[in-house]
Amino acid sequence: MTANIFVMNPTAAGGNEQAAVPEALDGLRGKVVGFIDNSKPNFDHLIAEMAEILESRYAARSIVRRKRLASIPAEDQVFAELVQECDLVITGSGD
Amino acid sequence: MVEAAKREVPALAICSTAFATLGKSQAKALGHAELPIAIVPHPFGIRDREELREIAAKTVDDIAKLLCESGDVEAFGKDSATFSAGRRAEQITVPSDFDDFNRLLMERHWGDGFPAIAPTPERVTKMLAHTSRAPDEIVARIAPGYGEATVERIAINAVMAGCRPEYLPVLLAAAEAVADPDFNLQGIQSTTNPGTVFLILNGPIARKLGVNSGNNCLGQGNWANATLGRGLRLILQNIGGALPGEMDRATQGQPGKYSFCCAENEEANPWEPLHVERGFSANDSTVTVVPPLGTWNINTHAKDVSDLLRVMADVMAFPAGSDYVYGGGAPWLVLSAEHAFILKREGLSKRDVKQRLWELSKLSAKRLSEKDFARTQNGRRAELGEITRESMLPISPRPECIGIIVAGGPGTHTVYMPGSGYTKSAITRKIV
Repeated sequence: MTANIFVMNPTAAGGNEQAAVPEALDGLRGKVVGFIDNSKPNFDHLIAEMAEILESRYAARSIVRRKRLASIPAEDQVFAELVQECDLVITGSGD
Repeated sequence: MVEAAKREVPALAICSTAFATLGKSQAKALGHAELPIAIVPHPFGIRDREELREIAAKTVDDIAKLLCESGDVEAFGKDSATFSAGRRAEQITVPSDFDDFNRLLMERHWGDGFPAIAPTPERVTKMLAHTSRAPDEIVARIAPGYGEATVERIAINAVMAGCRPEYLPVLLAAAEAVADPDFNLQGIQSTTNPGTVFLILNGPIARKLGVNSGNNCLGQGNWANATLGRGLRLILQNIGGALPGEMDRATQGQPGKYSFCCAENEEANPWEPLHVERGFSANDSTVTVVPPLGTWNINTHAKDVSDLLRVMADVMAFPAGSDYVYGGGAPWLVLSAEHAFILKREGLSKRDVKQRLWELSKLSAKRLSEKDFARTQNGRRAELGEITRESMLPISPRPECIGIIVAGGPGTHTVYMPGSGYTKSAITRKIV
């Protein structure tokens, strides 16, 4: 039988406590939806199609802001503006 | 995406299937495990408008369910890797047999694929003797999981990589450097690009530790180069949580992700060394972190400055698929001493070389695909103004963004390392 030794765990969990979950929306009707376009090909078209559906089905208005590059965060000013004006913020990740 | 959730407004992320794991893992690591994620087929970039309309309709339905039906939010499951919480590292019992131990490492996703040294408390203690910093001091938070890189955890990973105890201060400084916001480790670690971190050592410590700056300095055969680069990789993976196929989304990656480290050949450098150029004293020891997308050999026997710079600039400009074209970036050259000598002989400073290369390496926007052209317009409009097909695109926002070191042995070879638009700058930290 193999003997055992002690070793030290090399990993680390993120240092952040889990945040409270925001309250559920009472539906999409009449809401203002903010989109942050990740600037990858076709994401702008996907958002445009979604905005059309949100408006026709839910009378929801969309605001779209585009990132300069997918691999960098959106600017603080963009978040501040969307949080101020929107009931919901939608971001994107992927190709 | 987590930035939106942090601001206490209902938020949701749309991820293509290939990015869903990244989205979920990162949301959890940043304290928003319940962030709802709507998943769309990958890649949506190749879909036509009709397909996008169908995807959009389904996504809106998903959003309505995810956001408006409490309790119906997809909960994120357990990570496939086991991560350690708490400031001090836990001790665990493992088989002492070499093969069994290494099998366990791979099962827990704690390794890089090479056999590793068991980080016993005795080995870690020896490593910690080479710093005055407390074991539980947080040196940095490492993206994309933002795990706390304590002095002790850095030492544990250094032991696993085979680092000698006296190497620890290098990795402490490197961990601080990669966490600088201008380095954008988040982008480097989670992108589909093959970006990695290249460590450049300068100053007395490079000689003291025997870090290779000469022949084959980017290749195999030197203990310090091999294990320092590997040590940082294990830190990025084990503490940063960038597991391949999970939060590390690299399509292929590159061999430099195993290990990538050398010293500058200061003796052969006809100019001031990198750390002096970046504001440190010649007697300081420093580590500089650089995010190359790969390496490309420039073999030219040109002996005339104009000829030499033209060849280098042509090589720099032509990897048009590198995404510096979208966002600018910070490309690097590892000049051979012979090439550096030719440039210096004609009276050029490093600054002059950067300026000339920056002007000569501009890429015609006509060369870009339609989609890449559109991305470049969006990514560099603020820097370059309106971009047309007639525009000539500089390789970086400014000439000084081009990095230069002199390293390697005799030969007519300079290495070009394309950079990516997601990093503003390489970062240098003093090693203490």
